[in-house]
Amino acid sequence: MPRYYIDSSDGNFSHVDHEGVELAGDEAARYLALDALPDMVREVLPDGDQREFAVCVRDEGGRVIYSASLTLTGAWRPTGESDGEDGPALAS
Amino acid sequence: MAEKGFPGTLQALLTSLSLRDEISTEEVALIEGLARRRRFLHRGEELVSQHSQPGESCVVLSGFTAREVVLADGKRQITALHIPGDFVDLHALLLKVMDHSVIALTDCEAAYVPHRELLRVIERSPHLGRLFWLSTVIDGAIQRAWITSSGRRSATAHLGHLICELYRRLAAVGLAEEGRFAFPVAQSELADALGFSLVHVNRTLQDLRATGLVSWKGSLVTILDFDGLARLSQFDPTYLNLVKMPR
Repeated sequence: MPRYYIDSSDGNFSHVDHEGVELAGDEAARYLALDALPDMVREVLPDGDQREFAVCVRDEGGRVIYSASLTLTGAWRPTGESDGEDGPALAS
Repeated sequence: MAEKGFPGTLQALLTSLSLRDEISTEEVALIEGLARRRRFLHRGEELVSQHSQPGESCVVLSGFTAREVVLADGKRQITALHIPGDFVDLHALLLKVMDHSVIALTDCEAAYVPHRELLRVIERSPHLGRLFWLSTVIDGAIQRAWITSSGRRSATAHLGHLICELYRRLAAVGLAEEGRFAFPVAQSELADALGFSLVHVNRTLQDLRATGLVSWKGSLVTILDFDGLARLSQFDPTYLNLVKMPR
């Protein structure tokens, strides 16, 4: 089975995977990378208003074959701006 | 090594029971007189199967075992770790049908004691009956600690708490000392016990190592500063009941 290396960053602490993991294929590696994102988010939020969480998958040759990120963008709202009946007024 | 079916020593069970109360000579004789069969299991084999209705309960004599629940999509949660001296399915004496499986995380040795034997001993010594009861009550206390870790502790504190717990449990039965113990499990198994993604286990291990409180090389875990790790993890050993008192 091919070996994959999954690097991750929560915007503050980066982890470079030197050990790697043997997986059935690219799709399994993508799954593992995406699976890490909510764990990282849960660990550090709420913590500030700007944050980017990122993962990437490298193959045995060191080539990045997949990457994904989640971005937090938080902001205080001007007073008087109310949420609509359909839910929060989202910036367009 | 004895052959399968040959009665094995129950020293590990006696050690475990005597951590929490005095065991009389008659009680030792009752435990040693328990009929049982001994079984050697390879890593990955099942000691007890989900949905089975065991007619015997199983004591771990050596190695690590785990209770596991596997979902339809293949995801697994390890809900408990058991060490030598632990009964892994004493509750089956009353619950009858197993709602989860118990597997060998490492090669291990176990003794299977027929329920009728346990009932005979409990009837002869209500005190031993209470100590068996205590072991399932402590299993429940450990589950509460695990739920608290899963729900509310940070990943690093969760892992730290598990390390503190395993060390205290293993040291109590003479399987760890000077902050060191062997814990030969794969990172994927650790992920299933903690409820983390595999990548997050790696990140958390790196984070914990960076604190300088723990070193984890291969399968050898070394706690460099137990008090510091206990503080970081808010580990309070009360729930393990490692106290000898009349019960």
